[in-house]
Amino acid sequence: MMETTVMLLIAVPLLFSFLFLGLGKSMYKVLAWAFFIFGVIASVQLVRDGAGVYEITGSNFAMVENIVLVLEVLVILFIFAVSIKFKNLPTLGLGIISAAITGYTLLPGNVPEVESAVFNIDPFSQVMILIVNIVGTAIILFATGYMDEYEEHRHLHRQRTFYFTMSFFLAAMNGLVMADTLNWLYLFWELTTLCSFVLISYNMDQEGINNGFRALALNLIGGIALSVGIILLATNYDISTLSGIGTYAGTDAAAMAAVALPVALLCIGGFAKSAQMPFNSWLLGAMVAPTPVSALLHSSTMVNAGVFLVVKLVPAFAGSSLGTAIAVYGSFTFVMCSALALSQRNAKRVLAYSTIANLGLIIASAGIGTPLAVAAAIMLILFHAISKALLFLCTGEIEHTIGSRDIEDMAGLIKKAPYLTTLIALGMVSMLLPPFGVLLTKWVSMEAASNNPIVIVFLILGSALTTVYYSKWLGTVLSSTMDKYSVHNKRAETYFPLSVLGLAIVVTSILVFQVYDYFIKPQVEILLKTVPAVTGQAGQFTSEIGEFAYAAIFAVLVLAVIIYLATKNMFTPRMAGYYMCGENNLEKDKLMFRNGLCAYDKSSVSNIYLQNTFGENKLTTLGYAISIILIVIALAGGML
Amino acid sequence: MVAMNDVLLAVLVLIGAPIIGCLASGIDRKITARLQGRVGPPLLQPYYDVKKLLSKDNMIVNGSQNFYVVVYLIFIVLSLLMLVFKADMLMIIFVYTVASVALIVGGMSTGSPYARAGSSREIMAILSYEPVLILYALAIYLLTGTFKLSAVVEASSPILIYTPLIFIAMIVVLNIKLKKSPFDYSTSHHAHQELVKGMLTEYSGPGLATVEIAHFYEYVFLTGLIFLFWASTPIIGVLLGIIAFLLVIVVDNITARVYWQWMLKLSWTFLLVISLVNIAYLYVSGVKVV
Repeated sequence: MMETTVMLLIAVPLLFSFLFLGLGKSMYKVLAWAFFIFGVIASVQLVRDGAGVYEITGSNFAMVENIVLVLEVLVILFIFAVSIKFKNLPTLGLGIISAAITGYTLLPGNVPEVESAVFNIDPFSQVMILIVNIVGTAIILFATGYMDEYEEHRHLHRQRTFYFTMSFFLAAMNGLVMADTLNWLYLFWELTTLCSFVLISYNMDQEGINNGFRALALNLIGGIALSVGIILLATNYDISTLSGIGTYAGTDAAAMAAVALPVALLCIGGFAKSAQMPFNSWLLGAMVAPTPVSALLHSSTMVNAGVFLVVKLVPAFAGSSLGTAIAVYGSFTFVMCSALALSQRNAKRVLAYSTIANLGLIIASAGIGTPLAVAAAIMLILFHAISKALLFLCTGEIEHTIGSRDIEDMAGLIKKAPYLTTLIALGMVSMLLPPFGVLLTKWVSMEAASNNPIVIVFLILGSALTTVYYSKWLGTVLSSTMDKYSVHNKRAETYFPLSVLGLAIVVTSILVFQVYDYFIKPQVEILLKTVPAVTGQAGQFTSEIGEFAYAAIFAVLVLAVIIYLATKNMFTPRMAGYYMCGENNLEKDKLMFRNGLCAYDKSSVSNIYLQNTFGENKLTTLGYAISIILIVIALAGGML
Repeated sequence: MVAMNDVLLAVLVLIGAPIIGCLASGIDRKITARLQGRVGPPLLQPYYDVKKLLSKDNMIVNGSQNFYVVVYLIFIVLSLLMLVFKADMLMIIFVYTVASVALIVGGMSTGSPYARAGSSREIMAILSYEPVLILYALAIYLLTGTFKLSAVVEASSPILIYTPLIFIAMIVVLNIKLKKSPFDYSTSHHAHQELVKGMLTEYSGPGLATVEIAHFYEYVFLTGLIFLFWASTPIIGVLLGIIAFLLVIVVDNITARVYWQWMLKLSWTFLLVISLVNIAYLYVSGVKVV
C-alpha cells in the first residue's frame, strides 16, 4: 500500500503539471481544487500507511535508473541552455563543473554501483510530505485567485509555465523528502533548483532574470558541495543512502570524525538551499517573483529541503565538534538576520529575513544535537512552514488590497480588510508569542542550548529582535485610522487557503503534544537512538529542566476573550475622535492639526527601523565575513 | 488538600496583589510629592482614581482597543501567578511578553499619533530589556540546573551572591518596565511627559482603569523578580524588593528623561556586557547553589 502512495505522490503532481500545461486557463481553478484535495488525501494516506522502507530492485530499478540518467542529462542541458541564452558566464561555469562531476560519477569504476533505489518513509518524511502537499497545494489554490490580477498589472501571459513549474516543484519536493538513495536525492535537489530559477525569473524583466540566475548560481554551488560529499561517501565509505550515514556514524565518535568532511559538505549544500548566510542573497532576490512563489519557496518547499537534509544528518555530527560549529553557525545566522529584519520596511523583506533567521534556528537546534534540540528542530520546521505560508499569502493579498507592501502603508488595514488583517495578525502572533507552536519550539531550543554559551546568547539576542520586528508590524496592521475606503473583494480561491492555514496554526498548536508524540518522538529515536526526556501529558511539556503549560495559556487567552465580551456591555462605548491637543478635528480628516503657521497639516507617525544600526549596508558585509569564517571552521574541523 | 491550598494561594494572590500594588503606587506618589516639596495625595489615591475611572463614560476611538488592555491585564495576572507557583522562568518571561506586546498593540490600535509614538518607543524598550531578562533566566538555570523557580526557593544560598552584575542590570530593567525616569518616554504616571500620555493617550474611563489595575499587579510581579535574588530567605528577599522599588522611585525623581536611543545604547552596551560577564563567570566557575 505504501509503495502505491509513494509512487502516486510523485506521479500525480507530475500529471497535474502536464494537465496545467495542456488544459486552458478556464480549467485552472478546477485543477487547483482537485490538486488540493489530492494533496490532503495522499499525504494523510502516507501517514496512515505508516513508516517503512520501499526498495526498488531488479528490472524495475534498471528502468527507473535510466529515467534518472536522462533527467540528470536534461538538468545539465537546461542549465547550459539558459546560461548561454542569457549570456551568464558564472552560471555556465558552475554548470560545467556540475556536468564534469556528473560525468565522473557516470563513468564506470569511479564510484561503486548501487543495485537498488530506496525510499525511506520515516515520521520526519511524513511531516514533510504533509507540509509539501497540504501547504503547497493550498498555495497553488491561492495562486488561481491571485495570478490573473498580477498578470494584468504587468501585462504577462505566462500562467501556463507558472502552474506547470509550481506543480513540478511539488513533485520534485515529494521525491526529495522520501528518497533515501543519495543519487536520487541529488537529482530531486537539482530539479527544485531549476524550478526555483524558472519561478524567480517569472517576470522576465532584467531584475527577475538577474535574481533567478543568482538563485541558480548559489544553489549550484550548494549542489556541487552536495555532489562532492556524495561521491566521497560512496568511494571512501561505500555509503549510498542517507540513512546509511546515520548507521555508519551511529553515535560512535571515531566513525563520526571519519565521515565529518563529506557530512560537512552535505551540510553546506543544505545551507545554500536554506539561504543561510552567506548564501542569503538569493532568497531576498526571490522576492521579485509573484507572492505564491515566495510563499512556496519560503515555507513548504525549497528552503525546507536544506534544513531537512541537515536534520537527517544529525546522527553524523551530534555531540561532535562539527555539530558545535554548525550550532554556532546557525545561531549566528539567526541573530544576524533578525537584526536585518528589524531595519526593513518592505514586508516581504521582513518575512524573507525572518525565514532565514528561523531556518538558522532550526540548523542551530540540529547542531546542538541533543534529543530535545532535535525535537525542537523538527517541530519548528512544521510550525514555521504553516505560519510563514500564511504570512506570505496574506502579504500578497494585502498588496492587491492597498497596492503596497510597505509596512507603514498598512496602517489602518483592520478597517479596510478586517478578516485578512485578523489572519495576518494570527500569523504574526503565532511567530512570536505563546501558546503557539513556534514560540514553544523556541522555548525548547533555548532550554536545549543553555549548555552552549555562545549559542544561547545568540538565541537570546535574536529572540528579542524577533519580538521587536513582529510587534511593530502587528501594531501597524491593527491600528485603525479614521479614513474608510477600499471595499474588499473576497474570492473563495484566495480566502479558503488562508483560512485553512490559519486554522492549521491553531489546531497544530493545540495538538502540539499529540504531534510530538506521534511524529517527533519516534523520529528522534530513529536519529539518535534515544528519546528526548520529555514527560507530561497533553497540555504540558515537561523536560528535565523546565516545563511549558501551553494548554493553560490557551485557556487564559480564551478567558480574556470571554471577560472582554462579558464586560463590553457593562460600559456602553461612546465613539470619540482623536485627542490632538485641541487643534484637530476638521470635518474631513481627524488627523489634521493646526501648525505654527496657522495652516492645517496632517500628522503622521512611523515606526522605528534603526536603519543606522541594523541596516543592510551596516550588517550584510559583516554577516558574510563571519559566516564564511564559521563555515571554514566547520570544514577545517571536518578535515582534521 | 494540596490542590485546595493552591486554590487558596491563587485567590490570595488575585486579591492581595492589587492591594499591595495600589499601596505601592500610593507610596510612590507620596514620596514623589515630598521630594518635590508638596504634601501629596492620600495614600489610597490610586484606589480612588481607579474607582472614579470605572464610573466614567467608556470613551473609545475604535471598537477593539479595550480588548488589548484586557489581554494585558489577564497575562500580567497569569505571569504573576506563574511566579507564585514557581513555574518555568523562561516561560514566565514569554507570557509576560504577551502582556507587554498586548499593551503596545493596544496603544497602536487607537491610531492616535501620540499613542503610536509612545508605542514605538515601548517597542524599543522591549529590545532593551528582554535580553537582560532572559539572561537572568539563564543565570538561574546555570546556578540551579533547572529553569523551574522551585529550585531557587529551595536553594542553599541566595543567588544574588553569584549574580551581582545581573542584579544591577535587573534594577535598570525594573526602572524601564515601571516606566520611571529616565526611561519614562512611552507613557508615564507623573506628568513629565510632553507626548501627552504616550501609549495610553486614547484610553479613558474603564479602559484606563483596567490598565491601572494591571499596573498594580505588575508592580508586584516586577518586585517579585527582584525577590528571587534572595528567595532562599524570604524576608530578606522581600526587603530587597522593597529597597529596589524605593530606589527606582528616588531615581525617578532625581533624573530627567533621556532619548530612547540612549536607553538602547545603555542596554546593548553596558547592561548586556555586565550580564554577559556574569554569565561567563557562571559558565567558567560552574558554581551551583543547590
